[in-house]
Amino acid sequence: MNKPAATDAGEFGDLSRSQIPPTDKKIQSPAGGKTMRDFWQWMFSPSRRGPMLVAPALIMLFVMNIFPLMWSFGLSFFHYKASSIRPPRFAGLYYYEKVLTDPVVWERLQTTALIVALSVLLQLVIGFSLAMMFEKKFPLRREILMLVLTPMMLSFVAVGVFFKLFYEPTFGLLSQGYAYFMGEPMTLLATKWGAVWGIVIADAWMWSPFVMLLVLAGLVSVPDYLYEAAEVDRASKWKRFVTVTFPYVRGLLLLALLFRTIETFKIFDVVYLITNGGPGTSTETVAVYVYRVAFQFFKTSQSSALSYILLFIVIVLTNLYLYFVKKRGEEG
Amino acid sequence: MKGKFSITGALAAGIVASGLAISVPAVAKDIVLNMAGPDWGPTRFLQEYFNKTYKAKSGNNVKLVFDFIPWPNFYDRVAASLTSGEKKYQMIISDSQWIGTFIEGGHFMKLNKYIDADPELQAIMKDIHPAMIENYSTYPHKSKNYYGFPQFPDTKVTWFRNDLFCHKGEQAAFKAKFNDTLPCSYDEWKNADWGTWENVGKFFRRDKGAKLGDGVAEHDFYGIAYQAGKVADFSSMQILAFIWQHGGQIWDEANEPKAQALGVVNSPESVKGFQHYLDLLKYAPPAHKTGQMGIFAIQELFMQGKVAAIIDWAGVAPPALDPKVSKYHDKTGFAMTPGLRKSDGSIDRTDNIGGQPFVLTTWNSEEVTKEALEVVKWWMSKDVQIEFSKNGGEPGLMSVMNSPEYNDYLPWNRAHAELLQYQKDVWHTPEMFEMLTQQQEEFDKAITGQKTAKEAMDAIAKFQQELLTEVGRIK
Repeated sequence: MNKPAATDAGEFGDLSRSQIPPTDKKIQSPAGGKTMRDFWQWMFSPSRRGPMLVAPALIMLFVMNIFPLMWSFGLSFFHYKASSIRPPRFAGLYYYEKVLTDPVVWERLQTTALIVALSVLLQLVIGFSLAMMFEKKFPLRREILMLVLTPMMLSFVAVGVFFKLFYEPTFGLLSQGYAYFMGEPMTLLATKWGAVWGIVIADAWMWSPFVMLLVLAGLVSVPDYLYEAAEVDRASKWKRFVTVTFPYVRGLLLLALLFRTIETFKIFDVVYLITNGGPGTSTETVAVYVYRVAFQFFKTSQSSALSYILLFIVIVLTNLYLYFVKKRGEEG
Repeated sequence: MKGKFSITGALAAGIVASGLAISVPAVAKDIVLNMAGPDWGPTRFLQEYFNKTYKAKSGNNVKLVFDFIPWPNFYDRVAASLTSGEKKYQMIISDSQWIGTFIEGGHFMKLNKYIDADPELQAIMKDIHPAMIENYSTYPHKSKNYYGFPQFPDTKVTWFRNDLFCHKGEQAAFKAKFNDTLPCSYDEWKNADWGTWENVGKFFRRDKGAKLGDGVAEHDFYGIAYQAGKVADFSSMQILAFIWQHGGQIWDEANEPKAQALGVVNSPESVKGFQHYLDLLKYAPPAHKTGQMGIFAIQELFMQGKVAAIIDWAGVAPPALDPKVSKYHDKTGFAMTPGLRKSDGSIDRTDNIGGQPFVLTTWNSEEVTKEALEVVKWWMSKDVQIEFSKNGGEPGLMSVMNSPEYNDYLPWNRAHAELLQYQKDVWHTPEMFEMLTQQQEEFDKAITGQKTAKEAMDAIAKFQQELLTEVGRIK
């Protein structure tokens, strides 16, 4: 029997033609009058199989994500209100200038920065402390760990409603407890700082377990012999932490810082439900403000411009942290 | 055989011919009316009663499918639906202030041609209270362009604990302390002004364990409460009452573009009215300090027995009489709201009207529009309005409100009917929501002590002047 030429068999090497599966055949275009079976074979031939299977997800991504992004970016350069029947008119950079010179936007950014700073700091401290606690073995560790992780599994709305009721001055548990000792109810959300801390506590309660998980992953990876060596050298607890523990968790801690900063920067649900941006506008974050401008005032172009400015800020922050992570990695 | 006459064929032809001669009845069509409405008693009743009793005169199978939306999200959801272009709803129960936004957006249908062509609709319009026509239906405000019919007219009324207000001991103590009558009967409440309301606030502030009526206060107890909520229009709906009663004004959209905001919205009278509101708020439960004491919060406070009297919408009153949710369902009375006593001794009760109109959307076909208007006519018929009145609702027809039995249907009906003459409304222009949001924020700052009344009113006036000038409504 003549051996088939290598080029004929293609990827099947020395297999004879009779051994080569039919799908490996070069199939002519369906327009050449082939059967439906031939068409499907052509569609799902090995070279096309991967792209075809991924195509539905890509189409969905394009329709739900990429196209709206592109469309809204385009709208930011036009005068357009979703509630109006007037067609869009080109506006150039008008709305970007308007947003960047609007003192209200800067005020909202400051409020957001304040909440981000306090919340992320609290999450890091609590998360790290919890990780240090769960690094050790103790009775019921697994069960308690499951309970500690539960807040992270809840929906934002559930957390928002829970804390709104928790802080309520007449019915809420916090006020009831305060009144038991102090004789009068607590109105935490009545002042700017009270409302800010109310939101920060709710957000930290929900996301500290996330930081804990990341840090715990780093802590359990520290080899025991390093601690033994440090003990032999009679290093203090603090010295051991700084020279042994911290280097192993530093990268993960930075990762947690990065993720939580980006997520908290976008905080909306918890703020909207607990304070609705109040008292006054003292806890109105930039995400809540974008929502109002877009879906209550219907200033579509203005909200699009503001959204892209925020996206730019998040990209800058992301790149900044990645730079420091890389730099630390190189130094290490 | 060719040419032979077929008896069978002739018979068949005869049958067909006779069939064609008989008029065939039109096939009944299935028509679905999707309606968006707030999720509360009046709309739930509408759906249930429609399902039970409605039969389309056209013979079509008309189905009403309600999309019940919680009040705090109602505007956002309806607005998102309309602006997205999904054209989901054939009818909407719209809050009166939004109609300008959605009329100018091309979503709400002008009804004049249908009203002019239908004597039944004309009769209904004549039987609707003028305040309702003006505030629910017209755009521009107070014009002759009609866009809606009242689905649920609403006013604020006083809810009070009649076991406390009619308690002989409490009455005597009140008289001794303030030389004022603790209102118990309808007429006594009719004579109550803000001074009495303040005295009630001071009088019924009791700590837990203090004597209260025939028993003791189970919790810290407060005398009065009214809306002080940042969400939606809660604070504004009460504050505007004070502003108007003190002689202040809001920007007058009926006189655009001449009407100004600066100097009008923050006039000394407006500031005085707002300050009066703030002064009385200190007698309310501590929730007011957070700016989150909206219509449902004060309803809950009253039903749980933490406050002696509140001012809240009649639309949310039915649960107060429900033993399943209200601890004092059998000890609750209703009356007219207090007001500002004028120099001639009369009481000014000017207030902001509540309630919502039905509107039709512009993408309805003629057939759907006709069926939707038939639903409106059914709803606005006397029998249905009476049934609605007996089940927690308020009628849109004066003939029903003027009937002797009306006051007996529900304990707040008499107050509601008498308060209609005092009702005004906030703006209806497309900029309404932006103006309202900013106004709510400024009111909230003053309520939570971040600003004075004057600073808040100045900020509101400045914002409105700039915004309305930018859009050409002030020149």
